[in-house]
Amino acid sequence: MKIVGIAACTAGIAHTYMAREKLMRAAEKLGHTARIETQGTIGIENELTAQEIAEADVVILAVDVKVSGEGRFKGKTVVRVGTAAAIKNPLELLVKIEKAINANQ
Amino acid sequence: MAELSIADIIDASCVNLHMKASTKDEVIREMADMFYKAGNISSLEEFIQDVYLRESEGATGLGDRVAIPHGKSNAVVKTSVAVGRCDCDIEWETIGEGPSRLFIMFAVNSRDKSKLVSLLAEVAVALCDEETVKALFLCEHASEVIALLNKEGR
Repeated sequence: MKIVGIAACTAGIAHTYMAREKLMRAAEKLGHTARIETQGTIGIENELTAQEIAEADVVILAVDVKVSGEGRFKGKTVVRVGTAAAIKNPLELLVKIEKAINANQ
Repeated sequence: MAELSIADIIDASCVNLHMKASTKDEVIREMADMFYKAGNISSLEEFIQDVYLRESEGATGLGDRVAIPHGKSNAVVKTSVAVGRCDCDIEWETIGEGPSRLFIMFAVNSRDKSKLVSLLAEVAVALCDEETVKALFLCEHASEVIALLNKEGR
């Protein structure tokens, strides 16, 4: 699977970056590619490109707050979870998403 | 300008591997006190209030006996990290399971957008590594803690 996503938490200090790291690690373990943008207190980092979004099979929004640029994902399969779900059990989350996507094809 | 590193946000005086605290409130106060004595925050009460504000917005326990309370506060003079470990389990709201024993507290000024804030994120990322967390439970010196957190994300 090609995954893109955004991580953003309330304070934008810690959970945002942990959620990104956990998703990236889990994706690598499962053989997926992942690009996760962070929207934290210092602003947007690892900003997704239009091409990355276009090529993605799924968009994961691991967010606890309103994020900017959701319009970029129009027409895409978007899965919305909190940062907690991404930090706590990223492998399970990705397996579940993959199953759901395969079932829909 | 020289490259900043984790050592620029964690001072050995803000690491206590045998805290006296036995409740959540005592953990927050004991750690805030480390920041205060190091001159990293200007007001204990204002900072503690902001830590509780963040606590009210969602659990800061991560599971595996680790919690990351943080204060985004105007009382923060220097964006920094404190590390505290208790010899007993502390009841703490968590997204995982069980109590917490190891606390990584982040202090960041609400207006700070500097490289120091990115370093805090690097510390958070280091905590995603199970081996690093395991080692943090075993180390006995502040220098080991700083070295462990410095290893990742470089």
